[in-house]
Amino acid sequence: MSITTRSNKEATRREVDRAIRSGGGDWRPLAFQGLLLLALITSFGILVVLLTDIVTNAWPTIQARGFSFVTDGLSLNPETAGVFTGIIGSVIIASIVALLAFPIGISAAVYLEEYAPDNRRTRFVDTTVRNLAGVPSIVYGLLGLAMFVPLVRMIGLGGSTGGKNILAAGITMAALVLPIVIITSIEAIRSVPATIREAGFGVGATQWEVIRSHVMPSALPGILTGTVLTLARAFGETAPLLVIGVATGYFAPAGDASILDRLTGPYTALPVIVFSWSRQTQAAFADTLAPAAIVVLLIVLFLLNGAAIWLRNRAEKRW
Amino acid sequence: MSKQLKIAAMAAAIALVAAACASASGETTTTTVAAGGASQGALAGTLAISGSSTVEPVSALNAEAFRNINPEVGISVEGPGTGDGFKKFCAGETDVSDASRQIKDKEVEACAASGIEFIELRFAIDGLSVLTSTSNDQISCLSFPDLYALLGPESIGFRNWNDADALAAELGAANAPYPDAELVVTAPGEESGTYDSFVELVLEDIADERGTDAVSRPDYTASANDNVIIEGIAGSDTSLGWVGYAFYLANQDRVKAIEVDGGDGCVSPTPETIASGDYPISRPLFVYVNAAKAESNAALVEYIDFYLSQDGLANIDKAGYVRLAEYAPVRAIWENRTTGKNEY
Repeated sequence: MSITTRSNKEATRREVDRAIRSGGGDWRPLAFQGLLLLALITSFGILVVLLTDIVTNAWPTIQARGFSFVTDGLSLNPETAGVFTGIIGSVIIASIVALLAFPIGISAAVYLEEYAPDNRRTRFVDTTVRNLAGVPSIVYGLLGLAMFVPLVRMIGLGGSTGGKNILAAGITMAALVLPIVIITSIEAIRSVPATIREAGFGVGATQWEVIRSHVMPSALPGILTGTVLTLARAFGETAPLLVIGVATGYFAPAGDASILDRLTGPYTALPVIVFSWSRQTQAAFADTLAPAAIVVLLIVLFLLNGAAIWLRNRAEKRW
Repeated sequence: MSKQLKIAAMAAAIALVAAACASASGETTTTTVAAGGASQGALAGTLAISGSSTVEPVSALNAEAFRNINPEVGISVEGPGTGDGFKKFCAGETDVSDASRQIKDKEVEACAASGIEFIELRFAIDGLSVLTSTSNDQISCLSFPDLYALLGPESIGFRNWNDADALAAELGAANAPYPDAELVVTAPGEESGTYDSFVELVLEDIADERGTDAVSRPDYTASANDNVIIEGIAGSDTSLGWVGYAFYLANQDRVKAIEVDGGDGCVSPTPETIASGDYPISRPLFVYVNAAKAESNAALVEYIDFYLSQDGLANIDKAGYVRLAEYAPVRAIWENRTTGKNEY
């Protein structure tokens, strides 16, 4: 017995000794590390190739047109075509999303986290919201066509497009990002330590007071980050807009059109411009104008994502 | 607490900026457009144009040029497809319907049912180009039976060009046997007018004779984006497919047009052969004008006048289609406001 133990100890010592002295003798950790690095290089490489390709293709347009590419409106003449109409459309859609999805989404999150009892029904709602966030965007487009377009027409805002206008588009996009707003807000509220709430209750605050002056201020940075990212999503989506009748040709409002006429008339958005240019007969559109529009879209998205990161870093709280 | 206040202020600022952009947009658009106008015409009103996606580029170019002359007129041009366009047109929703085929009798009835009379204007021709890769030097001409053997409903499963040899022999196709090479087909999808035209012009007669459905083979790479089809055809040395002439014109360095034999020898697509009708697979392009609105809407009259003017016709070339040999007949139809279908 004792002999066995000693020889076991002996063996262990030898094993440890070998492992320490030989260092790189075992190839497996190295191989694993290499594999991980390869995965990183692959994904980063794809990104670099994609960006290089787009920027190279877009370069002639950027060089020839400069900033006027951003300030010129919709056109089928390659020399005068610009993305301004699309930027305006996307900004209006994003504004409608901010006005509709943010208040509703954040309120729903506060209710689910702070008020709703933790029972089967609440968990069902929670799971459903999470599943909704994964529904393909085209499905929301169909929802918009079936519900929001008639809704907009019904409340008298159909205009010359019969409801297939930017208002319906904005509402559809709001519905699309709503689950994401709710989820990110829930996560942000959940990350507020229970001690903060307890301290509030401890000094006699009501639930409303605790939420208003303790939970919400602490959760706000996280909520803001999430909401800015959903704005980026609303900026980049194409499919739902194509379903609910975004204009792909040319349009211009009448000279005497009011703001309401313009809002209820035809519209377009930045990613839709990329889509419709890529199928034009004139080669210049698919070859260099569409990539240039992609560059503009990417810059907008980088700015929005940058804003989200900046907000997060600035407002980050350590407990 | 001050930090939270700052964040709240920032959020408010973002919302404000967004709102400001939204409300400013109307103003900015107006000034841009007004500045771009050549002259301040007194013409006002609105024009709604829908229909064929093939015609859309011509109409969009014309609408844009027209808008620059008449900056007070509101215009929208879209291209959901010829059939969808006629649905809106016959419901009275649009002033002009673009079409890449003549109106069907069913659609004439639908228009008549809602009391809408139309003026039919044939203004250009589009040739369908049968394409292969520039490095394919074995195939230079195909007849209708050849195309039926390679692309028709009975060609399902043919992965090699010479798989079609037996069927081609049965049909008496002129250019069989085909090379022993992979057959890679990329073409428009069924929803496209270009698909309909190809089936109607090339496959239908032979399919009727043989008692098969007038459709193409279903097993090919389909795309609604013609530039994607060009990529597919250029991407394989032994490819086959078809697109509208305009897309061939823009990509002549990357794809080769196969000559087509409609019974009178091999003809390659050129503006001359398409305009003269010698090239066997071409289709007319139309605009249909709502006759009642042509009486009441001055902007509509000016727009169609522009469409048929030299400046308007120049946009046919720009979009890659082919002008008619003679414009006197169509101008006469327009001047006399002749309604109904015409014979060609």
